[in-house]
Amino acid sequence: MIRRILGSDHAAGWLFVLPAVTLIFVFGILPIGWALLLSFQQNDLLTSPTWVGAGNYRALVHDPVFRDSIRRTIVYTLLFVPLSVGGALGVALLVHRPIRFSRFYRTAVFVPVATSTVATGIIFNWLLDPTYGIANYVLGKVGLGPYGFFQDPDQALYAIVAMTVWGWLGFDVIIYLAALQGIPADLIEAAQLDGAGRWGTFRHVVLPLLSPATLFLIVWSTINALQVFDEIYVTTRGGPLHATTVLVYYLYDQAFQVFHAGYAAAVAEVLFAITLVFSIAQLWIGNRRVHYSS
Amino acid sequence: MRRVLLRAVLAATVIASGCGGSGSSSSGGKVNIVLWHGYVDVEGNALNDAAKRFNATHPKIHVTVQNYGNADYALQKVLTAIRGGSYPDIVYLYGSWAANMARTPKAVDVAPLIKDDPSINWDDFWPAERQAVTVGPKIIGVPALVDNLALVYNKKLFDQAHIPYPTPDWTWDDFRNAAKQLTDTGAKQFGWAYVADASEDTVWRFDALLWQAGGDILTPDQKHAAFNSDAGVKAATLLQQMATVDHSVYLDNGNGNYANLFNSGKIGMLFTGPWDLSGFPDVDYGIQILPGDQNHNTISGPDQWVMLDNGDDRRSAAWTFLKWFTAPAEAMRWSIATGDLPIRASQTQTADYPKYTAKYKGIDTFVQNEQNAVKARPVLPTYNEISQAMGQAIQAVLLGKAEPKAALDQAAQQVDQILAQGS
Amino acid sequence: MRTWPFSPRHVVLLPIAAVMLIPLVWMLVTSVETLSESRHFPPTLVPSGIHWENYPNALDAAPFGRFFANSFIVTLASVAGNLVFCSLAGYAFARLRFFGRDVVFIVLLATLMVPFQVTMIPTFLIVQHLGLVNSLGALIAPNLVTPFGIFLLRQFFRTLPVELEEAARIDGCSRLGVLLRVVLPLSMPALATLGIVTFLWTWNDFLWPLIAISSTDQSTVQLGLAAFQGAHQTRWTLLMAGNVMALAPMLLVFVFAQRWFVQSLASTGVKG
Repeated sequence: MIRRILGSDHAAGWLFVLPAVTLIFVFGILPIGWALLLSFQQNDLLTSPTWVGAGNYRALVHDPVFRDSIRRTIVYTLLFVPLSVGGALGVALLVHRPIRFSRFYRTAVFVPVATSTVATGIIFNWLLDPTYGIANYVLGKVGLGPYGFFQDPDQALYAIVAMTVWGWLGFDVIIYLAALQGIPADLIEAAQLDGAGRWGTFRHVVLPLLSPATLFLIVWSTINALQVFDEIYVTTRGGPLHATTVLVYYLYDQAFQVFHAGYAAAVAEVLFAITLVFSIAQLWIGNRRVHYSS
Repeated sequence: MRRVLLRAVLAATVIASGCGGSGSSSSGGKVNIVLWHGYVDVEGNALNDAAKRFNATHPKIHVTVQNYGNADYALQKVLTAIRGGSYPDIVYLYGSWAANMARTPKAVDVAPLIKDDPSINWDDFWPAERQAVTVGPKIIGVPALVDNLALVYNKKLFDQAHIPYPTPDWTWDDFRNAAKQLTDTGAKQFGWAYVADASEDTVWRFDALLWQAGGDILTPDQKHAAFNSDAGVKAATLLQQMATVDHSVYLDNGNGNYANLFNSGKIGMLFTGPWDLSGFPDVDYGIQILPGDQNHNTISGPDQWVMLDNGDDRRSAAWTFLKWFTAPAEAMRWSIATGDLPIRASQTQTADYPKYTAKYKGIDTFVQNEQNAVKARPVLPTYNEISQAMGQAIQAVLLGKAEPKAALDQAAQQVDQILAQGS
Repeated sequence: MRTWPFSPRHVVLLPIAAVMLIPLVWMLVTSVETLSESRHFPPTLVPSGIHWENYPNALDAAPFGRFFANSFIVTLASVAGNLVFCSLAGYAFARLRFFGRDVVFIVLLATLMVPFQVTMIPTFLIVQHLGLVNSLGALIAPNLVTPFGIFLLRQFFRTLPVELEEAARIDGCSRLGVLLRVVLPLSMPALATLGIVTFLWTWNDFLWPLIAISSTDQSTVQLGLAAFQGAHQTRWTLLMAGNVMALAPMLLVFVFAQRWFVQSLASTGVKG
């Protein structure tokens, strides 16, 4: 009897997840609870905090910068996720099948991922400089521009989208390449024997087999997009005129620039709620449409 | 209930860390203290040398120098360290953080120490430095570095445009006209550059113009905004005209490209300080005090050494070190090694001062210019918020997105609100 | 089949590769320029000479050897921890039906969604409580397991044919045995991915080391690089030389792991 329980999936399951769950509890969940506590306080990280109840949340409702930062975060996410995941799928399919220099291409798309954000920031500031940048020089040759990029409030957010897609594409490509390696070649052969064309094979065999990877990338990219910060910090710092002040940037600004740590924690909780809604929706839709072999 | 829990955890962390700051304590009658800084290269070496010399001559104290990385993040880092209960005895912090530091009980108020110890000769530090560390009745820190803004110009571009070099009595109009003549759109050459990222970098150059026009940032009681006065509008209008009408200003988005462009002969004039000069090896430049309106005020950006309290022994050891380190002779040695401006007026009287001016060409203009640093930015814990509101307004004006008066009025309204909530 | 002398895919891939390689080229060029060339506009694309001395100078300006050693220790420990713990947990979440599984999984996933800026101070206090501040342990412990890794491996494990595992179970294999002998050998692409990604993040992490480490001898490469970026000076040439040196290990790992992808394809012999 005892042996049956120990040998059961219940015991094995818990034994398997125990180390991970313990570590994530200590370094993940505990700090989150702590941060929630902060969101009910007025706290400048210096003097002893005062309890303000829902005061921070009430103030958020009337904060125009906060409202705009939510809008910008969602616009950014809706652009970044399809562009980076879709683009990565295209590149992965191009380099997956045997091609000369495929290792060179794979390494090339990986380079931006491996480059530190500080260096990326310096480089993009030069590339996209309105007066002296190479981007405007090249675009000018084909009769476009000049554009303000990071210095134009109407363009800065899109420039950030371009920069981050560039920076993260290689990561998504790796994930897709790994998934493509997992597709048994004979499945594709079988489909082609059945008379399916290239597109048909892709549409009905490859794409469904890639769907777990796609779901993973969409959820993961969404979470990252909702939390975009580093790239903004090293280029526009939320500007010009708040044009790139997304939620996490606003949060950082509130916590570490003007020392409203409690208020910042409330911003974080809102972000958390938005992310949760996005992710659950995606997982829920995904689980009904994703193809698993089991 | 919750706060009790928080306190308990905090207390536990302090106990767990063994009370000692950064792993040093006193042993055998010797007091070990820790100093945090963000200096690298020449300045880093100069600081290590100074600590070595101090340790050699002070057998009862040992100073350990630790680099905390980029000084931009220092406040965040120090606050976290204080929260964790383990922190250094002396830390290098930017001037604008004094009011924030004053609120933590761990920051040592040196006002009583100065009063009891005339040997520090407090009034010998420049007025702007003293104002920057004075937070109400408290004095938070000892001056570490001082800068001010002057007009740095490319002589070759002036010669090419056939205009005389700037003089000490240059007016705003002289300045604007010169900028216009130095601008050549085809060659992508600009008369002036302005950091337009809405940060303090944007604000402090505006502050200088505001003061020159006779304005102030806040009312004398520090309860209301005053920068939307006629003087403020006049200053913002100068920026607007130059940026959006003359197009004689290169707008830098905060990443310091203006320095590279000046070094490449693409920019005629800068409002900048001594820290940038080493970045201009390819340009024959001149230095002049800022152009003026009612006066030729400049703005000074002092940073400081802040003392943190790790008990009586370590506190007095830290004070001993800072007194030694900022005394005229040692401070002059530092200036010669690094090129930093004298932090004390009396340094210009020391025997070594000519060595300094000989080594760093044109530096005496900056030293003299310290006399024009008459006013200082308000030392308030809410200063960063005030600066942000002003920065947004100035940025909007520079980008041509708002009229000077309207932008400043809107910012003033925000600042009034910040001051009313004042914490 | 092939009628063109070269695949038309190159027409698409070459420009993409060019755009992606701009930063590397830029960094390499700047890292061998003189300070004056690096501060020039328009950018000096062909330096007057190759100034390799920027590399030793960068190494002299800070104890980079020590930084590299620290970064390697932290990174390797994190990679190992993630591979072991995420495999175990990912497999349990993918295949085992145990009490509370879905709730625990959602909660773990939720921790992915909180920006680090929020939890930084509490995390610091916890690390302090564990006596790890200003030691490499502070950088390793919070990174031993990531919800990301669990999620990634769970997704991958679910795509494997379950029949193989059932067959092994019937042959008397324990759950651990199945994981070690059947599932993991089939999962090399996913494990390689997790390895690379963990390597990448740990190696490039900046904010957390900044807070948790306060002395030079415990610093990582990224902290060392940040020291070049002082508020009042930017030594581009040394900064870029340092960046190239920081980037190199990661590219090596990638090139190495990439070969592994291909091998794993050959060795798995999955017949679906």
